[in-house]
Amino acid sequence: MPEPPEKNGEPSALKTAGLLLAIPTLLIVSPIVGYFVGSLADRWLKWNPWGGIVGLMLGFAAGGRETYRIYRRYQAEEERRTRR
Amino acid sequence: MPHDYLARVRNATIGLAAVGAIVTATYASPLAALGLVAGAAWSLVNLALLEVLVVALLTPAASARALPRAGWAIAGMTALLAGGAWLLFHLPPLALVAGFSLPFAVITLRAVSRALLESAAWRALVRSPWRATLAVAAVILAAWWLVPSGSLGQREGGEAHPAAADSARATLSDGAPADSASHEAAVAGETHGDAAPGKSHGAAAGEEEGGAGKFPNLITMIVAANHGAPWAHTLHRIEPILFAFFVGIVVCVIGFIASRNPKMIPSGLQNGAEMLVEALYDFVGNILGPRYARKYFPLLGSLFVYIFAMNLFGILPLMDSPTSNLNVTFALGLTVFVYVQYVGIRSLGIVGFLDHLLGNPRSVTGWVLAPLLLPIHILGELAKPISLSCRLFGNIFGEDMLMVGFAALGVGMLSFKGAPDWLPGIPLHAIFFPLALLTSTLQAFVFTVLATIYILLMLPHEDHGHEEEAHAH
Repeated sequence: MPEPPEKNGEPSALKTAGLLLAIPTLLIVSPIVGYFVGSLADRWLKWNPWGGIVGLMLGFAAGGRETYRIYRRYQAEEERRTRR
Repeated sequence: MPHDYLARVRNATIGLAAVGAIVTATYASPLAALGLVAGAAWSLVNLALLEVLVVALLTPAASARALPRAGWAIAGMTALLAGGAWLLFHLPPLALVAGFSLPFAVITLRAVSRALLESAAWRALVRSPWRATLAVAAVILAAWWLVPSGSLGQREGGEAHPAAADSARATLSDGAPADSASHEAAVAGETHGDAAPGKSHGAAAGEEEGGAGKFPNLITMIVAANHGAPWAHTLHRIEPILFAFFVGIVVCVIGFIASRNPKMIPSGLQNGAEMLVEALYDFVGNILGPRYARKYFPLLGSLFVYIFAMNLFGILPLMDSPTSNLNVTFALGLTVFVYVQYVGIRSLGIVGFLDHLLGNPRSVTGWVLAPLLLPIHILGELAKPISLSCRLFGNIFGEDMLMVGFAALGVGMLSFKGAPDWLPGIPLHAIFFPLALLTSTLQAFVFTVLATIYILLMLPHEDHGHEEEAHAH
């Protein structure tokens, strides 16, 4: 099979759109997952309610961190596009 | 941190919230408008605090002041959470959630518009002013046709609800229950209805408790014919898995037939299969680049074809979409998650992967923050399969429920006396078949795009100038 084209070596709009599309759900789901994991810790280790609260906080931070990573990638793609 | 991007998102959200609040205050209530504004403000402050926290934790230049800043951000988020709880008790929750979702809607719309504005179709559309004018006229006409019919449908839906509920109950009892919970809820509703006057109330209560049932399919009919048999119960429990296997076999058989006798100049099924594979290969190549496309295309292409086929199966008579079951979509998300971690370990090595999980600590501050970054990173990775699975499940399940709802409405509309027996109802749900085709394709596409993006994020970046990807080298 031939190599897939990367139009003039430019990153595609699909790639940048896909990167940005991943952000909203990650921001919403990460705190939920964090709270869920924290609640499990509460149940097993009897930390109620601190496990849930800490999990929620870490979840927010995880969502933010993923957003930051994705945005850095997006920015790198944009820089590549402008350079060419 | 992306200040300019976040500033644009913030400004657009503020504008949208202002317009939304005026509209809500006019057509709903001032309290709902206040809820919308409060939700949007909460979400924006949360994003700003997240920005502070992430910059404090991840920007090397700010490492000296990182901990106090992170502490302030966490304290602010705690206060914000308490404020959110207070707001939930004092303002309409729906308006609050709507306001909370506004920045995410803005981010999504920006991403979609970006893809649209740079697409060949859009460029072709705006090249000629006449074509663009025609498109705008078509949109206005469609809106003019849809808005009144939508509000009329709402009014009719409100009036015809007991009849629709009755017919949905009839569908449940004639065919077979889609799941035991809804069936039990329907039975509970009927019992309640017998005790209280009015059967339809019981059915409605049953529906409210258990949700609407699905269309009867081959397995639910077999289960209904052998009600009470232990094997029928087992069959009912593994119904989505059986359909998922069946779809897999159908896809494999079609693939086998298409590639059994390959010709240099393809025709028929081989032609279609080659077109699909080529389009998917180009699509994966556009995101991952030619270097990685060949390596990861087999999984990503198979995911698209499999999910697309599973989504479409819900439209076929006596079949069901396995993707309208959370277990199936979660299994798909889990597959992507495991594969992405495997890709990370393969490309970074075990030590590099652990280093990546700890946030690439290179200084004392980095090592102090490592125990905090480890759970944050693990949670971020865990969120990916869950977001993938919930999105796919929600969309396909919603699409199925929409069609069931309209089928029940079609039956309810002909439930008056004098309607011929040979006509059980108006097939209102048929108008949603094109929509189902569109959402089936779109959801398979979105799942594949996101799976590709998650793999991309695990791969070493071609551009070596960014500290975020420094771990990969």
